[in-house]
Amino acid sequence: MKPYDSDDELERALFALPLEEPPADLRASILAATVYRAPLAVKPWEVWAAGVLCALLTWLLLLVVRGGATPTISMISVYASGALALFAQPQTLFWIAVGGGAALWVSQLNLTVVPEALRATRR
Amino acid sequence: MTNVAAVLMEAPPIHPADQVDDQTLVTAALGGRAEAFGTLVERYDRAVYHLAYRTLREPEEARDATQEAFFKAYRSLRTFKPGAKFSTWIFSITYHACCDRLARRKRYSNEELPERADPSAGPESQAIASDEAHRLRAAIEALPEKYRTVITLYHLQGCQYEEIAQVLAIPMGTVKTHLFRAKEQLRRILSEDAAGVSE
Repeated sequence: MKPYDSDDELERALFALPLEEPPADLRASILAATVYRAPLAVKPWEVWAAGVLCALLTWLLLLVVRGGATPTISMISVYASGALALFAQPQTLFWIAVGGGAALWVSQLNLTVVPEALRATRR
Repeated sequence: MTNVAAVLMEAPPIHPADQVDDQTLVTAALGGRAEAFGTLVERYDRAVYHLAYRTLREPEEARDATQEAFFKAYRSLRTFKPGAKFSTWIFSITYHACCDRLARRKRYSNEELPERADPSAGPESQAIASDEAHRLRAAIEALPEKYRTVITLYHLQGCQYEEIAQVLAIPMGTVKTHLFRAKEQLRRILSEDAAGVSE
């Protein structure tokens, strides 16, 4: 057994050490998850839009079932006029623009960081 | 015969994969040629798995971390800076994926992570320890995590301290210190091992 007394001897042994053998199907599974991944049939925003629409329709259906058609229509008209009045205000539009701008800015940031606890142990 | 000749004439020129540099492959993948990324996977999957396995010491988790790293790299290929080394980039992504897994492991486990693996393993590992490569591997596994990762990257990338520093996001001086201490500890473990066997 070699004691590896010299630096050169140890380095030669390290470089001669073969890499770990990965599982046989690893490459295939990586390629299946990346290169050969089937493109999504629908875009993420389409899923969101469909979800919102479904939620709205369910809500309307529940209103109709609980209170009948006439109160529902009057309630919807109240909500709609309230929403329209809200969006007609310049202040509301200003804050929506500020929020949208901030969201866009945050989405452009690169926030990949090493956890602080792990970084501290590394020094 | 004519058909074969026609097909050969129309076929794209064949370049051995090793002759194409990583930057060209990244550019090709970004240009819509997904198979170029496949060549990068073929080139680096073993090294990435090796790094993940050495950092995590769990074959299943290493496999998942490798997959995760390539998936992240594929999704964020546009953020790859032209002129940078693909190997450094993919190793960095892998290392961060491993860090996340180690942190999660620490958070969900009541036990402290072992700083050192048990070098006095069962009879099976003692039998294979006679093999020099296995002995060296066991010694690397017995190193603390920070030294183990530096030694692994050094082994993967040669003497390029700067690249190791980039991957681990630590100063180059720290890399040199860790590497020095890692080799020192390795030598100590190996000589103790050799002395133990000869006694």
